[in-house]
Amino acid sequence: MDVILGITTEKEVIVITSRAAVRGVSILKTDDDKTRVVAPHTLLAYTGEAGDTVQFAEYIQANIQLHEMRNTTELSPPAITSFIRTQLATSLRSRKPYNVNVLVAGFDTATDKPELNWIDYLASRVKVPYAAHGYAAYYTLSLLDRWHRTDLTLAEGLEVADMCIAELKKRLPIDFKGVEIKVVDKDGVRTEKVTE
Amino acid sequence: MSDPSSINGGSIVAMAGKDCVAIACDMRLGMQALTVSNDFPKIFQYNNSFIGLTGLGTDVTTLSEVFRYKVNMYNLREERDIEPETFANLVSTTLYEKRFGPYFVGPVVAGINSKSGKPYICGFDLIGCINFAKDFVVGGTSSHQLFGMCESLWEPDLEPEDLFETISQALMNAQDRDALSGWGGIVYVITKDKIVKRLLKTRQD
Amino acid sequence: MNTMFAEQFNEPATNHSTAAPIEHRFNPYSDNGGTILAISGADYAVLAGDTRHISGYSINSRFQPRVHTLPGEKPLIVSANGFSADGETLVRRLAQRVEWYSYNHNKPLSAKSCARLIQTMLYGKRMFPYYVATILAGLDENGRGAVYSFDPVGSYEREQCRAGGAAASLIMPFLDNQVNLKNQVDPATGEPKIATDLSLEDTVKLVKDAFSSATERHIQVGDYLEIKIVTKDGVSVEYFPLKRD
Repeated sequence: MDVILGITTEKEVIVITSRAAVRGVSILKTDDDKTRVVAPHTLLAYTGEAGDTVQFAEYIQANIQLHEMRNTTELSPPAITSFIRTQLATSLRSRKPYNVNVLVAGFDTATDKPELNWIDYLASRVKVPYAAHGYAAYYTLSLLDRWHRTDLTLAEGLEVADMCIAELKKRLPIDFKGVEIKVVDKDGVRTEKVTE
Repeated sequence: MSDPSSINGGSIVAMAGKDCVAIACDMRLGMQALTVSNDFPKIFQYNNSFIGLTGLGTDVTTLSEVFRYKVNMYNLREERDIEPETFANLVSTTLYEKRFGPYFVGPVVAGINSKSGKPYICGFDLIGCINFAKDFVVGGTSSHQLFGMCESLWEPDLEPEDLFETISQALMNAQDRDALSGWGGIVYVITKDKIVKRLLKTRQD
Repeated sequence: MNTMFAEQFNEPATNHSTAAPIEHRFNPYSDNGGTILAISGADYAVLAGDTRHISGYSINSRFQPRVHTLPGEKPLIVSANGFSADGETLVRRLAQRVEWYSYNHNKPLSAKSCARLIQTMLYGKRMFPYYVATILAGLDENGRGAVYSFDPVGSYEREQCRAGGAAASLIMPFLDNQVNLKNQVDPATGEPKIATDLSLEDTVKLVKDAFSSATERHIQVGDYLEIKIVTKDGVSVEYFPLKRD
């Protein structure tokens, strides 16, 4: 029931993740952050099986950082996405696959364009204007089909994001304890807003 | 429903004409009934060979990357382009390497031999058994519908423009009867010295 | 097959007293293949079906007609394709109901009412359905061609055309394209083409093409094609040979 949502606008990507960490019927934590900054202009948002998610995200984060230190250059979002997909694809046919679904939000400084990638635990990857994982997808994709434009301003993008969050609050049977809204743009990753 | 080859959905068709071939695919990628993307092309070009990959989305991407690597290595070793016939055998052996843990795909290869100028199309099962066809090959979740369409619309020695119309109608009407395929289409019409790529504007449901 | 079960069934003979009882389960259904197709026009309706009857990979008969004419002077034609025992039973019971209707009410049963009757008959066996795809063809109250198609439990709809049975998935998109002109545009205006009534001659050609194609790619379809045509003058039949392989 985690909410993982990504929306591209003209100049940035908005990433929305729920703050609740749930295990069975209990809410263990209400200030959970389901993202990792893997490179200065790339944010990884994740959902999936409890142990796997953070383990996988930090493994990716560490390897991207190592690559950056060795080569003294920042990897582009498509390169990072490619790397993540390959890792998941390899894991899929291993003895114990990672059960992790991710969104890779990035700002490509070479092309000056925002980019959002959807990858599931099967390592199906697709570049999309907006995306969600899990149940959130069923409630928000139709809203985004209606209201999303490629030339959205940040303010308009956040407005669409608020519509999605309102819908999720209304329809999801379990309180997800608010969201963290992060923005990836030419200046890197920042937390735009945290709600209760 | 947990059948790997019909989780993501998608369809491919290739046809031979008079000194030309055409290959077409849909644009959908979904998870069961939920459509995730309508911009997921399934046809990849390597030199003058084209391959359409349907089935499990992850394997479509993985194989397209494997073939890119293998064809690049072939080009470096041989210092020449790979021919469609050779590429088809490369596909076959690559798939059979995973005989007991296969890639869940239904590939289709199309191209024109640069030496002989002969059109070439063929299809495969998921472990690489080649289906050499003279007329048309189909693959993906709407393969039944495509068989019905192709068998009734296709005729020998179609000119490039007529071949385009035939393959497009076959694809569009087949995918309209399949919930897991559609959301746009791409058609390549290949002649000896020209490749024409067209995007089909189709029903979005 | 799950290997666990295989081991269970291969228990040594001495263990009989402790082994789980062997269950036998009767399967009341089978698949007898074949395909049917109906198209309606301005003043006619055709219902065609191949005459092959199969079980598994065996051909039981190369000529077992599956399109039936219901009794009456303004006949309707019907075919229930799938499990042929259920199909035969449904059609026989339907024929009797139609006949008795004409005696009781001194008028023939209309196509519309026959369709509703078929629904109630199919739904009457909701918990143990007739395993068939049913198509009814005839003329409506205004003398126009009418085709009604049904699912095994009685959901039905009046349509311009419908394919049913084994090769329905091969034929249906072809019909969308050639009868309802789906995905076709007028080159002059760029607007979608509007479907008009086909001539009987064109319809029969289309039916033969559809079945020839289905025969080519479906092993359960072949031998002969039986085309029944309803007009105001009654029912006429045409036979067309299909490939026998």
